Amino acid sequence: MTREPRSCREIEPDLIAVATAEAPPAAARRVESHVAECASCRSELTQYQTVDGLVTAYRDTRASEADPTLARAQLESRLADLRSRIVRYGVFDSPLGPIAIGVSEHGVSMVEYVRPAERTGGGLARRAGGEAVEDPRRTEGLYRDLADYLDGRRTRLDWPLDLRRTRSDFQRRVLEATARLPYGAVTSYAGIAREIGAPRATRAVAQALRHNPLPIVVPCHRVIGSSGDLTGYAGTRIGLKRDLLAVEGVHTMPGRGDYHIERRAVYYKYLDGAEYCLPTCGGILEKPLGDFTVFGSRDRAEAVGLQPCTDCRPDLHPLPV
Amino acid sequence: MADEAFEIVVATHHAEIHRYLVRVTRRPGDADDLSQETFIRAFRAHSALPAGSNVRAWLFTIATNLCRNYWRSESRRRRAYEAAGETAAHHEEAEGEGAMVMEQASEEIGRIVAALPLRQRLAFTLRKVHEFEYEAIGRSLDCSPDTARAHVFQALRKIRRGLDAPAGARTESKR
Repeated sequence: MTREPRSCREIEPDLIAVATAEAPPAAARRVESHVAECASCRSELTQYQTVDGLVTAYRDTRASEADPTLARAQLESRLADLRSRIVRYGVFDSPLGPIAIGVSEHGVSMVEYVRPAERTGGGLARRAGGEAVEDPRRTEGLYRDLADYLDGRRTRLDWPLDLRRTRSDFQRRVLEATARLPYGAVTSYAGIAREIGAPRATRAVAQALRHNPLPIVVPCHRVIGSSGDLTGYAGTRIGLKRDLLAVEGVHTMPGRGDYHIERRAVYYKYLDGAEYCLPTCGGILEKPLGDFTVFGSRDRAEAVGLQPCTDCRPDLHPLPV
Repeated sequence: MADEAFEIVVATHHAEIHRYLVRVTRRPGDADDLSQETFIRAFRAHSALPAGSNVRAWLFTIATNLCRNYWRSESRRRRAYEAAGETAAHHEEAEGEGAMVMEQASEEIGRIVAALPLRQRLAFTLRKVHEFEYEAIGRSLDCSPDTARAHVFQALRKIRRGLDAPAGARTESKR
């Protein structure tokens, strides 16, 4: 094996590597044989070893120089603020088309039908409010719930809701009353207005539901016009309302540019009554829809604890399916 | 990674990231700001971090990138050199208290490191203070491990020369 010493210039990087204990064995051998014959590089090596020792001292002595406590405290408060504003969302391909679901630290804060062109880009993030971060992993469990719901395998979405994006106290009350509507039950805008103690505010109720930040979860599809027409959903996507009602066993008939509930084909609960009736009971069909909650099937009515009316006996004379 | 897990990330790494930033900026106030920014960015991005990632190395990469942006501002560079100068002045006053030789050498190294070109300073600090492998340093600095190593060695050369020269120069100026 050749022992020819390399030039001092060439050996210098190896020298530093040896001094800082990073040299691979081959480099260490090269240095060893070189310094055996070169006094100046020997001294150079010693100097680098001294430097390495001082660098270690530098690492250790300055370690506690600056106190991070204040920076940490400021960071914690900024993080707390950020956490309260952040919305993590994912966009999922649902049977109803792409749907965005967003969640804050308080609960689900966004459900939105997304137009395909909007899947990427800032518009969605902006509407999510606060600090939006795309995070499908955080929301995919919620989407599984939703997919089960749309498939009829689940009748409740027991999600904690974040209603901070509501525009007013009035809208909040409308959304909360709507959220209490049971699965498979339908009422009218007037019915919700009465429910929240503002019986003359039917139009305002409709307006509040038009800007529902949490469609499906806050089931505004269960609220229809007093005529029985579905009257609007997600802009002009009335078909979605029809589909969501169909999932819950509430069937609708196509009409002129809209769908409507067939008033003779549903069961009725009058105001806060404890019974459900046939449409033929006590002149129901002459009364405004706003006085009732209607159900597509006996099962759905009984699922919320209603008894069959003892006059019209829907249990003995059920509507044809 | 859930938000609770991020609290653990802060608790585990904040102090070290802060130390790193104090060393490379030489200004505790800037280190406070940059360490906050590092973790705010990390918070926004941590959910996208693949499971099993090296969180510490990832945080150092964020902090290093912030330093590089920060240093693009000429005024900051000037302020940092001034800070380095103040430390050097302080060093001279302390001179003569024999037991503090190591501490003085550390101060001197700090001054020399502060005057290094940014990439050398970052590479040196990542390697010698925070003991990262050259692969990780290369990833933080967008260069090869060999280049990262060359930065560190260049820093060591300058420290060696710096520890020799200014000591002599100072002695002369004092006499």
